Amino acid sequence: MKNLITIGLPSKGRLKDKAVTFFNDRGLKVLQSDKERNYFASIENKSNIKIIYLHAKEIIQRLGDGTLDIGISGLDLLNESEKNLKDKIIIKKKLDFGGANLVVAVPDDWIDVQTIADLEEVAFDIRLRRNTRLRVATKYPNLTNSFLISKGVTQYKLISSLGATETYPFIGSSEIITDITSTGKTLEDNNLRILKDGLILKSTACLLISKKRTSKLKSLLPI
Amino acid sequence: MKSKKLSDQIVKTFKKNGFSLSEPDVLLDSEYIIQRSGENFRRSMLTFENEDGKIMCLRPDLTVAACIKFIEKKSKSKIYYSGQAYRRSNKQGFDLVHDQLGIEILGSKNKTQDDYKVIKTILDSAEKINNKKIQIKVSDINLFKSLINSLDMPERWKLRLIRHFWRPKYFEELLKRLEKNTDIDSITFDTDKKRFYEMKKMNSEKLIAGRSISEILKRFDKKIKDPRSFDKGKQIVKIIRSFLKINCKLSKLDENLLNFAKKSNLKKNIFKDFDSIQNLKRLKKEVNFITNFGRDVEYYTGFVFEIFIEKKEIARGGRYDGLLKSLGAKKDIPAVGAAINLNNI
Repeated sequence: MKNLITIGLPSKGRLKDKAVTFFNDRGLKVLQSDKERNYFASIENKSNIKIIYLHAKEIIQRLGDGTLDIGISGLDLLNESEKNLKDKIIIKKKLDFGGANLVVAVPDDWIDVQTIADLEEVAFDIRLRRNTRLRVATKYPNLTNSFLISKGVTQYKLISSLGATETYPFIGSSEIITDITSTGKTLEDNNLRILKDGLILKSTACLLISKKRTSKLKSLLPI
Repeated sequence: MKSKKLSDQIVKTFKKNGFSLSEPDVLLDSEYIIQRSGENFRRSMLTFENEDGKIMCLRPDLTVAACIKFIEKKSKSKIYYSGQAYRRSNKQGFDLVHDQLGIEILGSKNKTQDDYKVIKTILDSAEKINNKKIQIKVSDINLFKSLINSLDMPERWKLRLIRHFWRPKYFEELLKRLEKNTDIDSITFDTDKKRFYEMKKMNSEKLIAGRSISEILKRFDKKIKDPRSFDKGKQIVKIIRSFLKINCKLSKLDENLLNFAKKSNLKKNIFKDFDSIQNLKRLKKEVNFITNFGRDVEYYTGFVFEIFIEKKEIARGGRYDGLLKSLGAKKDIPAVGAAINLNNI
């Protein structure tokens, strides 16, 4: 169908629920499939709209290649993407849910390190004394890189992490981390502390659209 | 092929001056380079994963590749190289492939003499290209260090300014902060004092995320004692800015430095350790000395120079005493070198 609009929504957790509510509240009632684990859904009385549940990261990829016209995903994931993917996506609206901060965190007991300036000094110190680099574990290498470099921290090495990044400093995989946190509880419970000026990005869920489809959506999009 | 003929001529000059060929590897272990040169380097490397799962890169720079060869004891100490280096850039129209032709003295024992040898050899080569319109610009990062160390400000600030001298943009930010006397680190310690005393009772060898308790406590202690604020920021920034404006003929350098010291109320003997620069008078050529120069390459530690023909930079070089150790050499190996930029000829 020529006028078909495909929307990607997060497939799990609170983000999924809030995204569904977002559409319901705007008079677009999301109809789940009868089969509980089916990845497709539709909107009541809108036969030209198809909804697909996907991993939040996947939503950004698929907006980039044009499989999706519209999607809801995190600003953090969008900003972390490679430039040529980012260029294909437009942020239509920042939403009032899914808020979380990407931050730099160090072990609690590094009491001498309170700010990025401290971190910069310690990084040089490690380099000078041991001829190795401060290791920063992260799921967000691109955002972490540009943040640290803009703050004058240059003597570090990124360690890419897929999950449980909070454990890295205590199992010898890295010295510090950057990670996304909404309440700070996980960091706190794992004896990590956010640096005073260690906020890399304030993220929220965003309504995103594929740039290629803007003109098509203008005439069809009810939101 | 004009450039082939030219590079043959240059190589001939290198050989005549006692440099022998080194052929650095084209493929290098990229983790090794990142570990040593920093994460920022990753963006400019062309990498691939080999069959063993190792991430390899095409050599991004021939100086670095030649140093690695030397550390592996596979080259002599006085070498020249001729080949291509491969770097990626986001800028449009930026070449991936760079022809590099250069010399290095690795394990340089006589600093003044070797610095002279390198610049003289490069000049001899440049003269083969164009004898008339050669311009020489020089500087020495040690002069900046001497200046900073003679100024009355907290140690923390001195180290910061020296560390970031090679990053002009961030350096400027630092100066602005210093000018306003806003320390980038003016945090109080009250909350952590309690933990400080608890930690004092712990085993000082214990590691927390790779740092020993003694290391952490020592730095904490130093931080508390180091003055947080001082009121001379504005004055000091003025001195630094005026220093970075020094741009004169080499023959007038002594006079200029003396005037600068006098004007800034500094002792006249603060500038030491720039024999290599003084020694360039032997070249009997017009040399310009510029303090705000050679600030884009992190690894230079002393004397730096650039050679221009008709406003085009055709060669640059300098002393880099820390690079070999940072690339994995067991001890300090002082070195000096330079490369000719064939693309600008």
